Amino acid sequence: MIISKQKDMEEILNFLKGGKSFFLLGCSECAALCGTGDDKALNEMEEKLAKSGKKTIGKFVAKIGCQVLGTKIELKPFKEAIDEADAILVMSCGAGTQAMVEVYPDKEVYSLNDTLFLGNMTRFRQFDERCSLCGECILDKTGGICPVTLCPKGLLNGPCGGTNNGKCEVSPDLECAWVRIYERLKRIGQLDKMKEILEPKDYSKHFKPSALKAKKDEKK
Amino acid sequence: MKNFREVLESGEFTITAECGPPKGTDIKEMLEHARHLLGKIHGINVTDNQSAVMRIASLPVCRLLHEMGHDPILQMTCRDRNRLALQSDLLGAYILGIRNVLCMTGDHVSAGDHKSAKTVYDIESVQLLRVVDGLNHGKDMAGNDLKGPTKLFPGAVVTPESNPIEPQLIKFEKKIKAGARFFQTQAIYDIPKFRKFMKVARNFDVKILAGILLLKNAGMANYLNKFVPGITVPESLIEELKAAGKEEALDKGIDIAARQIRELKDDKVCDGVHIMAIGLENKVPIIMEKAGLL
Repeated sequence: MIISKQKDMEEILNFLKGGKSFFLLGCSECAALCGTGDDKALNEMEEKLAKSGKKTIGKFVAKIGCQVLGTKIELKPFKEAIDEADAILVMSCGAGTQAMVEVYPDKEVYSLNDTLFLGNMTRFRQFDERCSLCGECILDKTGGICPVTLCPKGLLNGPCGGTNNGKCEVSPDLECAWVRIYERLKRIGQLDKMKEILEPKDYSKHFKPSALKAKKDEKK
Repeated sequence: MKNFREVLESGEFTITAECGPPKGTDIKEMLEHARHLLGKIHGINVTDNQSAVMRIASLPVCRLLHEMGHDPILQMTCRDRNRLALQSDLLGAYILGIRNVLCMTGDHVSAGDHKSAKTVYDIESVQLLRVVDGLNHGKDMAGNDLKGPTKLFPGAVVTPESNPIEPQLIKFEKKIKAGARFFQTQAIYDIPKFRKFMKVARNFDVKILAGILLLKNAGMANYLNKFVPGITVPESLIEELKAAGKEEALDKGIDIAARQIRELKDDKVCDGVHIMAIGLENKVPIIMEKAGLL
């Protein structure tokens, strides 16, 4: 899922300076799991805004905020409030915010969250990055552990000199991804894979902005 | 006079030292240190924003040392440049007379003085070795023909005291496969342990220069043990430094370095040593003299 974190109120109030009334939009997917876009987060934001004299004239948690057409339909009953609001404040990820810009091209839209990474919830509300969306997955060669993401240098061919008793030179709280990969490959009898030199990554596969259109016959 | 590569390939015990460019344009002291080493060592490494601290670039300093009469070893890390910049710098190094390149991944920016910098790591040490091999064969990374190849002598680094050692050895082998012809190791202090590493290394047609880092005092040894991955100073050496007292600690450090170099040379453990004195390059000739190398 996409991990997001709410911005500081100071920063939020700074870019909302000119406005008085707002429409809050959350998302029931990733942002809800992160606690940055569920009902509770929206209610708390309403209170915080009220303390600064800002009015919330409508709020809604979209089912999937990045699904542009679905969210547009979901928001139809809120047309009046949205029209009246000085801005839509989106409490999901950067994609959710930009979905609103597409749906309401004439409206001010602001994101109240910082979008951080793609990761797993490893414990309740603890999130750990797992995938860098590089467009060229090598997990088959690394025992299912991603060095592109889990090694701060994104090394593809084994640990650097900074590996330290299984920990990373960047932080003692980080495990060395390549020691983990080594141990995992050994455990599953695939250590030979570590001896293969992996080619430099093809960053043209990570071209921005990326787009993918599903083939017609794959549509259901 | 033979250059670094010729000395190393002739089987002669090879000595390299290190030059760390300063932060700023005053290079008087650096050049003085380098001049002091002229004619005594076979090659001189020039570090590349070592520890991710911004300094003068390695390449222009290599050129200055080349003009002085040294055979420089260009340290090249992948932290600050993408594949275009790395390759164009390698071509540039070659036309400036630089013939040796030490291919490294590079310390992470979090260790340095520009912590908010964007790390590059477009490629890494093993892949960079392959790039050098390609340029030597007249091809760039994209497979394009070069108008004139390089003839660079590619080297790499290895940490013989890395724990666990197995992943490090796998990478060592990959670096050889990728074209590394010589290795300069991370600092070693535990000679019996290093001998074990050399048993493995001797299975390959590659030259090994042991990293000798001058101990200035017991405090430095403790710091290395605590904060520098892959370096272990044995307790017995720390005791020696302590026993020497504050005033004499550096002399003791010099003695230890000289003693270890002598042992490595006399027992033909490895092919040479890379002496790192970090700011005390003027002590390198003294170490060499005590080790019987001058």
